[in-house]
Amino acid sequence: MTPPELRDLLADSLALWEVAARPQVTGTGIALTAPDGTPLSILPAVAADLPVRWWLERPGQRRPCTSVLGLLRTFRNAVGAGETEARRLRVARPDV
Amino acid sequence: MIPISVVTGFLGAGKSTLLRRILRDPAWADSAVIVNEFGEIPLDHDLIAASEESFVSASTGCLCCVVRDDLTQTLLDLLRRREAGAVPPYARVLIETSGLADPAPILHALMTDEALAATHVLSSVVALVDALHGEATLARHPEAQRQVMLADRILVTKPDLAAAPQGAIRALNPAAPLREATHGAADPGWLFAAAPRPAELPDWAARHTAGLASIVIEREAPIPALALTLWLQGLAEHAGPRLLRVKGLVALTEQPDRPAVLHAIQHMVHPLEWLDAWPGEDRRSRIVLIGERIPRHFPARLLAAIEVEVAAAGH
Repeated sequence: MTPPELRDLLADSLALWEVAARPQVTGTGIALTAPDGTPLSILPAVAADLPVRWWLERPGQRRPCTSVLGLLRTFRNAVGAGETEARRLRVARPDV
Repeated sequence: MIPISVVTGFLGAGKSTLLRRILRDPAWADSAVIVNEFGEIPLDHDLIAASEESFVSASTGCLCCVVRDDLTQTLLDLLRRREAGAVPPYARVLIETSGLADPAPILHALMTDEALAATHVLSSVVALVDALHGEATLARHPEAQRQVMLADRILVTKPDLAAAPQGAIRALNPAAPLREATHGAADPGWLFAAAPRPAELPDWAARHTAGLASIVIEREAPIPALALTLWLQGLAEHAGPRLLRVKGLVALTEQPDRPAVLHAIQHMVHPLEWLDAWPGEDRRSRIVLIGERIPRHFPARLLAAIEVEVAAAGH
């Protein structure tokens, strides 16, 4: 995923969570300021870091993310959107 | 006079399942079916086994708003084709509204058009209420409330999963007879029998939940099953209760020659059903997602990101 593609996905996610923040491409990663003023960076991991695919950085903290879904979950918490509406997928019984 | 029955109910309540089952019954196969879908691409046409000639799909918008003016014309066109022998001599018309339709304007159109009144009569309005999601849906969506309020008969679906939301239903419609049905196993004779009807009903203006929209995703290349599963998980997790419905015909990488029918109602996804073959030449995956205030490109961007990741992992 290119940095602009990641920026667009994160921007859509912020809109979905109704968080006012604007992610911007910075080199190979994305930077933004969370609503509480915390600077955040999302950086792609290098191949040697696998299975880590992304790093989410804030001052004094670096969180590894092994998938894009993991990244969105971590990112959501970092911007303070919580999980108030989060739901786990459930599978219906056959023919229900 | 040709009787018309309107089958309504919120997204995922089981309208298509009910109709599919009824049309399999030889005693009710002589029904013309008009299906309205909220999505921009019609899918139910491929999923309801109806006679090709007497099936009309109206998918350009919500029947109660955009398509309402065309409904009378559709019914009269169908009648002309029937009289010309171009369609089988159907005994009744069943109209499946979109799950987001307020039935009031539809009933108004059916009851007040003079040309239609000479040949057709509104027989019954059936509202389906999902036992599992019904109570929350009735509390949240004005369309669902109006569907129940205007029903002559109420069919509670999925009663094996949860108790019927009797209180919520009766608060809206204290008098309509109510039955329960699992997997669409309801008596059509009861559903579609003529119901007494006042000559005039108040307040025909359609009411809708704000911010509802359908989003279409089309894919040329088959989708890995793992990517589809992760995508649904991501949608459920991040869109939460704002995700109302996902349905589609999907070409999976693991079995691209047979389309998989995808159904999800809110965060409840049904096991994939497999069709024997693609219904037409178009073999692209077509998924329609209906939700409240979901950014238009979010579902496609999420799927693309997951597909890249799944491909990189060698799946």
